[in-house]
Amino acid sequence: MLFILLASGFIGAIYLDVGEVFTNGTLAHSIFFELRLPRVIFAFTAGAILALCGLLYQSLFRNALMTPYTLGVSSGAILGAGIAIKLGLGSLAFGIASISLFGFFGAMLSVLLLLYLTRFLKHSHFESLLLLGIALSLFYTSALMIIFYLGSAMQNDMLLRFSMGSLSIIGWTHPITLSIIALLLFITIFLYRHELQLFSISDEGAKLRGVDTKKVTLLLLLVSSFAIGVLVSVSGPIGFVGLIVPHIVAKLHREPVNKRITKTALFGGFFLVFCDTITRAIPTQSELPIGIITALIGGPFFIYLIISRSKS
Amino acid sequence: MIKLDSLKISYQDRVILEDISLSITGHLNILGANGSGKSTLAKAICGLIQYDGAISIDGKNIKELPLKQRAKLLTYIPTKLEVYDEFISVEEFVLLGRFAYKDSFFDYSSNDKKIAKNTLEFLNISHLASHTLSSLSSGEAQLISLASALVAQSKIIILDEPTANLDPHNAKVIAKHIKGLKEYHQIILITHDLELASFINSPTLFLKNEAASYYEKYDEFYNEAKLEELYGATFDGLAVRYD
Repeated sequence: MLFILLASGFIGAIYLDVGEVFTNGTLAHSIFFELRLPRVIFAFTAGAILALCGLLYQSLFRNALMTPYTLGVSSGAILGAGIAIKLGLGSLAFGIASISLFGFFGAMLSVLLLLYLTRFLKHSHFESLLLLGIALSLFYTSALMIIFYLGSAMQNDMLLRFSMGSLSIIGWTHPITLSIIALLLFITIFLYRHELQLFSISDEGAKLRGVDTKKVTLLLLLVSSFAIGVLVSVSGPIGFVGLIVPHIVAKLHREPVNKRITKTALFGGFFLVFCDTITRAIPTQSELPIGIITALIGGPFFIYLIISRSKS
Repeated sequence: MIKLDSLKISYQDRVILEDISLSITGHLNILGANGSGKSTLAKAICGLIQYDGAISIDGKNIKELPLKQRAKLLTYIPTKLEVYDEFISVEEFVLLGRFAYKDSFFDYSSNDKKIAKNTLEFLNISHLASHTLSSLSSGEAQLISLASALVAQSKIIILDEPTANLDPHNAKVIAKHIKGLKEYHQIILITHDLELASFINSPTLFLKNEAASYYEKYDEFYNEAKLEELYGATFDGLAVRYD
């Protein structure tokens, strides 16, 4: 795993000589420290956030298919970020990139809308919740398409690249911001690890043992929406990481939820760095969007998951 | 003391219980036909479902009780142990019953772990400690549910159909444990099993047609004429399979 992390920085369209990388003033030095290394760290924190959110959603809703993506929260964040692009709000508002702020509001409003709609669901409401998520996701995507058609050529180009998902970043601003947010998310989930364990028993079981289920659900969804909103506003959608990583870690370690938090975050980070390294290693005209690789691995896994669940 | 005051519970336009006012001071068996509202009443007492009217425990309205305090006052054991997390072990699951005593954000203390271990020993199920919950038989699962309730050291324990999925041997084991626990806890037993109710021998609350009738003495309820009147079926005496 660590090898992937170290080697990843050296893989890409331009070959980097190890000796030159550590010599100040060389092109290799600039490429490594201004492009590759920030990108590896960005990919790692993004993977950790996506995997942690997947674990969180699956435990809170006790359903293997729940993630911010399947529930439409990510699409909400993308729509929010898309609106910011359309309105040309690239500048900073209160020191925060407005595109991130809109991404967060998009994610948060999607969560609140989803929670509000669950009040009308009766039996087997987690299946209905998933269907609601898919419906909302399609709705947000269509709304984004309308913005796309109304936009100028430059805005459209930005939107198109954005909606395909990419870890292409320059400099250290995004990796540092995202690392802080990933740490905040990790600490919050870790502090509530015992509550999360009780959620993964049953909702009734958690309430009976003294968990304020409504309050804890809201708090955890708020923090995770913030993380997803900010991440998605920079990277665009990266599907399947949140879905498959928690399951792989569970199958590998066979431990209860509260003991899988750190492992899931680390594995998610390594997994996305690995996928990102593949996108850079494959010689294509322009760089492959990361979402294509995660979907190529995640798609078959998703089908396997559905089939194995229905068998059991 | 559990006090129900003008309790009314509805579910999707259907009234399940109406105008129930009652003080429960000791052990109680709750009986009634299917759909008469036995589990609904228990869940309302635990604060799990919405209701009109008031429910209080020792003078405190349960809606105003902090959740951890409520968890220390009463525990509810559902008919079937259903757990989403497939990797949690028996030991870890039983420990969750100590959540209300645990300091926020911290791990369970060594004292909590000791209580969980002793409870498993008390119920003769220490050998299951490292097993996952998904690998247990129905009888074992019911004992684990009981252990999880006992570690909470609550004053009141509500058991919902504890023998419903059990074979005669396991039903007998559970029945004997329940009877033994009457010495330390206020036991509220919901059951269809008349023989179990008779063996536990607590006053009876019978639910029928949205209303409740209370029978303090054993003979008031456990006689053929009364049972036939309440259940609308013929009774040829009660078997004594739990003794």
